[in-house]
Amino acid sequence: MSHQLSRRRLLQLATASVAGLGLTACGDNGSGSAGDDGDSGRITVWSWTTAAKGLRSVVPSFERDNPGIEVDVQDVGNPAIWDKITVGLASGGKGLADVLHIGVDYLPGYLDKFPDGIADLSRLGADTYEDAFAKGLWPTVMGKDKAAHALPWEVNPLGLFYRHDHFEKAGVDPDGIGDWNDMIAAGSKILDATGVRLLGLDKTGATQDMDFFQNLMQLQDVFYFDQDGKITLASPAAVEALTLIKRLNDAGLIADTAGQGTEKRLLGQGKLATYAEAAWAVEYLASTFPEQKGKWRSMQPPAAVPGGRRNAIVNSTYLAVSGSSTRRRAAWRFIEYALTEPARINRMFASGGVFPALKAAYDDPRFSAPHPFYGGQKVLKPFVASLSADARPTNFTGDYARALKFASDAQSQVLIKGADPADALKKAAEQLAQQTGRQQAV
Amino acid sequence: MSLAPSEPAPATAAPAGRGTTDRPGRTRPDRRRLLTRTSVPYLLIMPAVLGFAIFKAYPIVASLWISLTTGNGAGRHFTGLDNYQRLLNDPLFWTALKNTALILVVQVPLMLGLALLVALGLDSTKVWLRPLWRLGVFVPSLTGLVAAGVMFSVILNRDAGLLNWVLSLFGIDRVNWLGSPFWARVGVVLVITWHYTGYNAVIYLAGLQGIPQELYEAAKVDGAGPVRRFVSLTLPQLRPILLLTVVLSTIGTLQLFDEPYVLTGGGPDNATLTVTMYLYNNGFKYFDFGYASALAYALALIVAVLGFLQVRLMGERK
Repeated sequence: MSHQLSRRRLLQLATASVAGLGLTACGDNGSGSAGDDGDSGRITVWSWTTAAKGLRSVVPSFERDNPGIEVDVQDVGNPAIWDKITVGLASGGKGLADVLHIGVDYLPGYLDKFPDGIADLSRLGADTYEDAFAKGLWPTVMGKDKAAHALPWEVNPLGLFYRHDHFEKAGVDPDGIGDWNDMIAAGSKILDATGVRLLGLDKTGATQDMDFFQNLMQLQDVFYFDQDGKITLASPAAVEALTLIKRLNDAGLIADTAGQGTEKRLLGQGKLATYAEAAWAVEYLASTFPEQKGKWRSMQPPAAVPGGRRNAIVNSTYLAVSGSSTRRRAAWRFIEYALTEPARINRMFASGGVFPALKAAYDDPRFSAPHPFYGGQKVLKPFVASLSADARPTNFTGDYARALKFASDAQSQVLIKGADPADALKKAAEQLAQQTGRQQAV
Repeated sequence: MSLAPSEPAPATAAPAGRGTTDRPGRTRPDRRRLLTRTSVPYLLIMPAVLGFAIFKAYPIVASLWISLTTGNGAGRHFTGLDNYQRLLNDPLFWTALKNTALILVVQVPLMLGLALLVALGLDSTKVWLRPLWRLGVFVPSLTGLVAAGVMFSVILNRDAGLLNWVLSLFGIDRVNWLGSPFWARVGVVLVITWHYTGYNAVIYLAGLQGIPQELYEAAKVDGAGPVRRFVSLTLPQLRPILLLTVVLSTIGTLQLFDEPYVLTGGGPDNATLTVTMYLYNNGFKYFDFGYASALAYALALIVAVLGFLQVRLMGERK
């Protein structure tokens, strides 16, 4: 038996097996799992924390009404769920759940980058619900194929929560505040009277929470991209927004909330006079700081510019069916069941705090009930009202994550290094264009 | 064909009750062709080779291909060197590279110098409770990277952190550790140094203990003082070990990810963005796998070149 032969044979075997692996892998990449329209069996749902809890609350009645379908709701956690969905989509749908809970900051990216990754729901009947959800949401579920790929579940209209006690001590009348110029004046008064800063922002940008900047843009009907997908990060409205943030900072009204748990700690210590957040914060504040009962109120968000609009949709989340699911019809049935019926969606609102996007849900008395935490204010009412007002859809595009990064860098440059807002945004918009191949809007 | 046995392998376990203990290895040595003197080593390395093929070779080849393409999951199309061209014009890539280089130039010598000092201390027979100190020095490197990052993000917190509290005891003002570009870099250097100094010290300790005592005795007889003995004897004897740690630390630093990811998220204003972090963002946040793969290859090239230079400059000189 020659030494050579056995070595060669082993090499051949090794090469063959590697090549085989490569081929199978390529095959998977190329076609993806085809999926199927199965109407029964066990479907899995990926969601996170309180939303998952909310979804679980409708499972028993769904299983009773739909014999043959079993639902397993898994709390994957946020942000872990994004990595998990991304990896699943990138490997052609392998290992994905049948139903996916997706935020508006990810949905367009998934639709854009993985055209077959998220199932076409128009085909299964989703179009009947086009007018059922809050204005401005339906365009966000449409893919390039002009088909709906998700149903809206949660919508977060912008509000402004403020410490009634601090405002009163400083003699500031919230009804006199119409835009952020008024707010800066009020903030200085509050700082002088109470030593409390107006609001918190992560100056370092480590968390890339750019909601405040985005809201100031959305209040001017502008975002990182226009409806054609062109870059508007250096537009006059964006410069206006960042300049406002700079003015707030120069006036000493911004508390730095960089670092894990800093914002929560400052809120708990009563060191922030306002909380410029969306509807979800109604229950967040009430349940996190019960000892501050009666001290908070909410108001319509001030306009970014004098005379500007005072409503905006911060973000929204959706349920979608993965394209690789073999039980797409069953998965769709669950989504339809959970999201299109007022009583059920309000039950999820009650148990999970997810503010519903379904318009019919707002007829429920809970949306006009006085809230004890907010001194008996009918706190949900203005949020609902702002949703029925004219709201422009925000075009997040598939490059939102990149835009967010450059915007966050620009804000840090302004807040930490004293950069000029217009210059910082110009640089950011140029980098965004260079990296995405998108044009800047003129 | 030497691989497959020409006939069914002999039963090693004879049916119970027969009473004949058949030992095929001895009675029929030439029939068992699968286990020959030449094939056994191959069989022994087979698991490693298979593991390498599946988890290393395939991704290496596949990512090279992906780096030459653009598009999404199913619709990749070939774009040649476009991704690499884009890389050269990407200011963030250069920022990340500069940050990594800065950490490399400042942190690696600092850490290795410190590790050598610690090793010398641990090597001294005059030190009491040596095993205990040795353990203490090594323990940080057993900590998970993410755990270390989280721990330091608490320690370095500006308002409620331990370090600023300690500094305040000495009347030193609060340092905005993670909020200013300069101090954030210092923070990252601090974490890596804390994490890996002990590891390197233990490697040096092993090296030190491998230097024959006779050499030191001879040097003493020749009248060499402690400094002279360290410079002319210890250091040259440690050269291979030094080279090993320098190369390993260089590669480790170039691949730095966990600590800045947890500690600073690459901020503020990209002051602590590393190449690997930027790669991760491109792949898993921007879904731009083609560009991320190009970054990976650029990084691999840089690692290879640096490693080669280090081996050439510090390696054997004979």
